[in-house]
Amino acid sequence: MDEKSNKTGEDKWGMVVDLDLCNGCGACVTACGIENNLPTVGEDESAYGRGMHWIRIQRYWEGEYPHIRARYYPVMCQQCGAAPCEPVCPVYATYHSEPEAINIQVYNRCVGTRFCAQNCPYVARVFNWFDYTQAEPMNNFFNPDVTRRTRGIMEKCTFCLQRIRRAQEDAEQGGYELADGDVQTACSQACPTRAIIFGNLADPESRVARLSESARAYRMLEDLGTKPKVFYLKGSETGLRGLTS
Amino acid sequence: MSEVNIQQALFSEVGQAVEAVDKLREAGINDDHIEIISGMPLSHHILGRPEIKSRVPLFAMTGFVVGFITSIALNYFTPALYPIYVGGMPLFAIPPTIILTFEISMLGLMAFSFFGVIWENRFPDYRPHEYSVEATNGKIAVVYDCPEDQRATLEVAMTATGASSVGKPEVLR
Amino acid sequence: MTTDVQMMSKAHDRGEEALAQEHLMHDPRSQEEMNGMVMEAMQDMGVKYYALVAFLAVMTGVLLFGAWGLLIFKGYGLAGMNRPVYWGLFITNFVFWIGISHAGTFVSAILRVFKAEYRRPFTRAAEMLTTFGLMTAGIFPILHLGRSWRFYWMIPYPNQRMLWPNFRAPIMWDMIAITTYLLCSTMYLYLPLIPDLAMTRDHSTGWKRTIYKYLALGWRGTERQWAHLQRAINIFAFAIIPVMFSVHTIVAWDFAATRMVGWHTTIFGPFFVIGAILSGVSAVAMVLIIVRATMKNMKYFIRPEHFDAIGKLILIVSMGWAYFFYNEFFLEWYGGEATGHVVLDFLMSSPIWWIMIICNMGIPFMTLWSKKVRRTPWMLFTVTALINVGMYFERVVIINWIPFRNRMPFDWGDYMPSPIEISITLGALCLFALLYVVMSRLIPLIPVWEVKEGQTSHSVRKVGKASISSVAELE
Repeated sequence: MDEKSNKTGEDKWGMVVDLDLCNGCGACVTACGIENNLPTVGEDESAYGRGMHWIRIQRYWEGEYPHIRARYYPVMCQQCGAAPCEPVCPVYATYHSEPEAINIQVYNRCVGTRFCAQNCPYVARVFNWFDYTQAEPMNNFFNPDVTRRTRGIMEKCTFCLQRIRRAQEDAEQGGYELADGDVQTACSQACPTRAIIFGNLADPESRVARLSESARAYRMLEDLGTKPKVFYLKGSETGLRGLTS
Repeated sequence: MSEVNIQQALFSEVGQAVEAVDKLREAGINDDHIEIISGMPLSHHILGRPEIKSRVPLFAMTGFVVGFITSIALNYFTPALYPIYVGGMPLFAIPPTIILTFEISMLGLMAFSFFGVIWENRFPDYRPHEYSVEATNGKIAVVYDCPEDQRATLEVAMTATGASSVGKPEVLR
Repeated sequence: MTTDVQMMSKAHDRGEEALAQEHLMHDPRSQEEMNGMVMEAMQDMGVKYYALVAFLAVMTGVLLFGAWGLLIFKGYGLAGMNRPVYWGLFITNFVFWIGISHAGTFVSAILRVFKAEYRRPFTRAAEMLTTFGLMTAGIFPILHLGRSWRFYWMIPYPNQRMLWPNFRAPIMWDMIAITTYLLCSTMYLYLPLIPDLAMTRDHSTGWKRTIYKYLALGWRGTERQWAHLQRAINIFAFAIIPVMFSVHTIVAWDFAATRMVGWHTTIFGPFFVIGAILSGVSAVAMVLIIVRATMKNMKYFIRPEHFDAIGKLILIVSMGWAYFFYNEFFLEWYGGEATGHVVLDFLMSSPIWWIMIICNMGIPFMTLWSKKVRRTPWMLFTVTALINVGMYFERVVIINWIPFRNRMPFDWGDYMPSPIEISITLGALCLFALLYVVMSRLIPLIPVWEVKEGQTSHSVRKVGKASISSVAELE
């Protein structure tokens, strides 16, 4: 158990994405947007590359017509153990939470240098270029647990830290230990094929801990030494072949 | 003091000025009572004058040390005060420390040398001093103070050496 | 053969006369006369001058500060950056102006240390380039922030936020390095200026005299004052050279310290430094040509010999740039990773890449070997202007174009500079020009005492039939 944990009984949050189950439906993207008060950017701005998605489905086409196949990769902030985005922030707006092994973004500390975004190899960070709002009727559904960000601020996937805190507080109040599955991120909750699994890597019995040691498990751009916390499961050939060829 | 007179002799050539200084020394005027004002730097080798030990390098070294200490404080005391871990890097990382230490030490070195020049020259000094506008325009002014009885003879000697004018110096206001 | 070349070849026949015509150091005039010439140039403030200052002030106000206000008011999205190209023309401008600022230190410090006598008339003009280049560059780290009004959080001072800035961040190294360089170059501009301010004080009357009197700190020119000043200038000359190299290296590390393919290379430090020297010395040539053409009496001080020397310097630095450039990009092509090849393919498909190569390598190599080109002001101006265009595009290629491609093809992007960025770029140029034009009439542009020192140390000797220029050290 190297960087995943240094002792059991602690919460080291991690995620497993099973690419053999992902069908690219985009429910995770929508759920994340609603959960985290993601603003509506508009079609033009999105087309120019300013979409505010904390999780995105990368879609790669393979093959020639009529044997085309798509591969889907849901990518969010990998919460790297040795995050390239953290040391470059001059004002400590992003730092590493050593106890919980995730990367924290402090909105009201950010001055908007965007160095962290330039340095992220997963291009996981998004920037508030304007004071965005949400389209009707979404602006009636803001999540009170999540701050709304003003312009000039960097943001990214937080592993739904608000849900983690809520669960931890409930457990403390209720006097019980958090069990595997008590904390669910919005994306893992919404995924219809259960392709996204969230849990505590420090707990050896949790699904993420067991799946992260599967033979199919790999991490994105692992050779960069970023020590990401998101494990992708990919078999040799995946899912859609039977449907299209 | 009624016995001491300040006189100024203007020369257009360095050679003449040096000769004049020699004559003044022969007449018994101490080097301390002679001052040479010029619009261009003339080293003590050229003028044959005692070397002026400048303490500006000392200021520079002090500045370097001050800068060094400031940078160590910034690089080590501030993370110790408020430890924040970023990017898998150690809290006290040596390579960034070297960069900042170099920069701040050089800043200290140069800022203190600048301050040293100001200090050593007693700048800013707006009190009236003997001066000649001609000196800035290229002439060399030899300013000396001599006892009243020697004034006339020295005036003659200066003119003989080639002074374009000898008399009471102008005052820089 | 041109008259200049004819003159040079006949110099050996006509001896001192030709030397005097060619070399400022052999054409001595009295310090009084030179002071008069410099004062005349300073006091030449006619309608055209005021019109130019007014124009530049308005353009700066509108193009730079007005656009910046709009950016703060409406939102940073008015600029053209997006994901994944988070840094746009603002950072390019920042690097460009820091590059320009290296010129002054190169001329006034490095040439002083190497005792290149031809630097004497234009050290101050070059040092002003440094100071004002840094002031212009210093705007951009604040301007490019998403929340510019919070820039002071990056300043290290004890505060109630219980947070010091992160000194492991390249931006903090930038801040400290640029502050150091700005302060030191201002001091280095000021120190040799003190005797000239005293000269200006003596030639002024009224309220102008009062101002110069206070600025000159009571300088008279006594031996003590000269001794201390010379010591300090020597310390500065030696000390500011490593600072100059380190500042642009640290700016280069803004890019080299990232994980981005195409940026994360060890050669960036020296590559940027030599690029800065190239664009800076070209800028010095441009400014000198303009000064010589527009200010009175400058034709005495700044002569074709200076342009000749600067032109040769630019040619050598351009070759150095080509060497580092080839090191950087050739090795990326040979045995580089797949993403590196993708980046290179993309860059080479862009016309900006080819303009950069032609302007930075092709044009200097093809023109600056020729004495005629070097010594003819308008030709040198064209060449150096093109070099600066090439260097600007080099920064655009590296800073703005490389982020288009990264390791994940789904997240490739593009970027087009928006009108507000172009407005701010032009506004910065106007700001620099404004500062320079205003200052050129406020302080004497030529350090007369240094020229006089040089003229005193130069003499003409006869060796055989030839009249030879000979320099001695006055110290």
